[in-house]
Amino acid sequence: MMELFLKILVAVPTTLLVTLASFALGAVIALPLVAARRSRFMLVRGVGKAIIDVLRGVPPIVFIFVIFFGIGADLIRWEPLPAAILGLGLISAGHLSEIYRGGLMSVHAGQYEASAALGLTGTATFAQVIGPQAFRVAIPGMVTWLISLLKDSSIVSTIGVVEIMFVANQSARSSADGLMPFVIAGAVYIALGTPLAVLSRWLEKKLSFGRSA
Amino acid sequence: MNDRSNQPETVLHVGDVRKVYGNHVALDGVSLDVARGEVVAIIGPSGSGKSTLLRSINQLEVPDSGTLRVLGENIDFSSRVSASQLLGLRRKVGMVFQSFNLFPHMSVLRNVSFPQERVLGRSRAEADSVSRDLLERVGLAAKADSYPQKCSGGQQQRVAIARALALEPEIMLFDEPTSALDPELGLEVLAVMRQLANAGMTMIVVTHEIHFAAEVADRLIVMADGRILESGVPQQVLESPQTERTKKFLSAITDR
Amino acid sequence: MELLTEWLSWSPRLLEGLWVSVQVTLLALLIGVPLGLGLAVLSGVRNRAVKWIVIVYVEIGRGMPAIVMLQMVYFGLPDVGIVLTSYSATVVALALTTSAYTSEIIRAGLRAVPEGELEAAAALGLKQWDTLRYIVAPQGLRIALPTLLGFSILILQVSSLAFTLGLPELLSQAYSIGAATFKYLSVLTLAGVMYLIITVPGGWLVEGFEKRMSKHLA
Repeated sequence: MMELFLKILVAVPTTLLVTLASFALGAVIALPLVAARRSRFMLVRGVGKAIIDVLRGVPPIVFIFVIFFGIGADLIRWEPLPAAILGLGLISAGHLSEIYRGGLMSVHAGQYEASAALGLTGTATFAQVIGPQAFRVAIPGMVTWLISLLKDSSIVSTIGVVEIMFVANQSARSSADGLMPFVIAGAVYIALGTPLAVLSRWLEKKLSFGRSA
Repeated sequence: MNDRSNQPETVLHVGDVRKVYGNHVALDGVSLDVARGEVVAIIGPSGSGKSTLLRSINQLEVPDSGTLRVLGENIDFSSRVSASQLLGLRRKVGMVFQSFNLFPHMSVLRNVSFPQERVLGRSRAEADSVSRDLLERVGLAAKADSYPQKCSGGQQQRVAIARALALEPEIMLFDEPTSALDPELGLEVLAVMRQLANAGMTMIVVTHEIHFAAEVADRLIVMADGRILESGVPQQVLESPQTERTKKFLSAITDR
Repeated sequence: MELLTEWLSWSPRLLEGLWVSVQVTLLALLIGVPLGLGLAVLSGVRNRAVKWIVIVYVEIGRGMPAIVMLQMVYFGLPDVGIVLTSYSATVVALALTTSAYTSEIIRAGLRAVPEGELEAAAALGLKQWDTLRYIVAPQGLRIALPTLLGFSILILQVSSLAFTLGLPELLSQAYSIGAATFKYLSVLTLAGVMYLIITVPGGWLVEGFEKRMSKHLA
């Protein structure tokens, strides 16, 4: 059992790599999406919403299969890892853009008016006034998404990325013990996710107190 | 025989009740007897323990020690109160809250009828007919099918009074019943309470309405720091308070 | 044009798969949501041991990726003598996950019922069970409804992971058509569209509910 545990432990960095890289990718791609969603032009808004709906509405595994097997077979050859990061990154962009939008919507209209009255430029208003306030509200949601993403990263085992779930699945197939690998894998995911959950709860409390004060 | 009518039955006895929250003493050995048909008004600054006392009487608050006797039901707070004792107690005592606390997912009529069905085992038809009579009495017959959100605060509080009365309590507790209301709406509620007092209901009213207390109450109690400072005929207490503390409190609220 | 005929010829098989996806989703919800309600109620009892068991169950159920749950039930449980078909294993695993998540959703709903109403119920002499059944549950479940609906849509998405158990649901059907025709991109895209046909309007429905609810509360 110790051997099994170590085997799974060795795969933890890959799980973390997939999770963090796709989160970072998503956090960046979400910016143009949320900008589109708040555009002055109805057409742009519509396209933005449609893209977000697709990113959030298709099951992640289907999305990753489309990228890996679909685009992978017909257009470009992928390695599993970049395909996984791209797929989960795009899905993250869909979710994170909605979280950003929630943050932006929570900023009071008076803040825009006050900035305008002070003669701030649009960019300055956004970078110095609106952005920081919106970000503050968005942080707990972002951490919550990071936790989901950590768990969702397990599905990239299906395209052959050698992360926690992949090792668990292989061990279960090749050994007499079919249950233990999954129990260990589950425990490792919980062990990785719990500190994040605690962090998210703490942030939520802290940031909301900050606002009411 | 004459003797007895001069000394009406005591329906409520509170004996040396104490309650401490952390290091704040909410009730510091309060005792109180209330006779049948008596109307007792309790005033005092916030944090004086008046609400805690009221809430202790029907066990929404459990004191640390002391005794309580409500119409033969004896409770000693130093030991655990059984569930059946609790339900027995609450059936005899009705309560009206500052924030009305109607059930928003039920119509006005259901708010009044539903507890009768569950607590008294009345049939729906029977409960509804009792409810309609009571709503009539509080002047809200026309609102029976509305939902609480569609009623003014004063109307909601009157429904809450009808809801409590429907269970035929022997004692009614009022916890600042008009504090959440605009003055005119408060008057509607006070009118209903006056009517109830005239009908002989035993009432304990925690309030800031000095005029109501002076006119309607048989006895006025002033509380501060978890203790009863004064207790007596309202006129007397208001006109010649015995303690400096009471004088200060009374001048503060009459100045407003 | 070629794409359209292709898609039309695959549709019957994919729809069959979609029907399996919908079935396991509904069954999982049917078992998991009442279980979640039970857990939510249990988490409110005074008994510490009960409370802790509920907390541990819920944290494990939510902390474990659904794919681990699925494979553990299907590949792992035979080790302890419980052999399930891929269909029932999927229903069981998704129901477990559902119960853990929905217990938190429902608990939040129940807790949103104002304290004052509970006091009023107590003062009226209502028994705890009556208070739960007639005062707290109807309001709490209504508050939880949009979130529960959103979660149900999510579970349909999660059901696609039953592909790894060989359950012939939508993704499995699409994948095997892909394997036979090498037209992975086309058939997987069609499968994605089929999911979207349910999830996107479902999302609108949730938004509509939420808007109506917030108006009511205001």
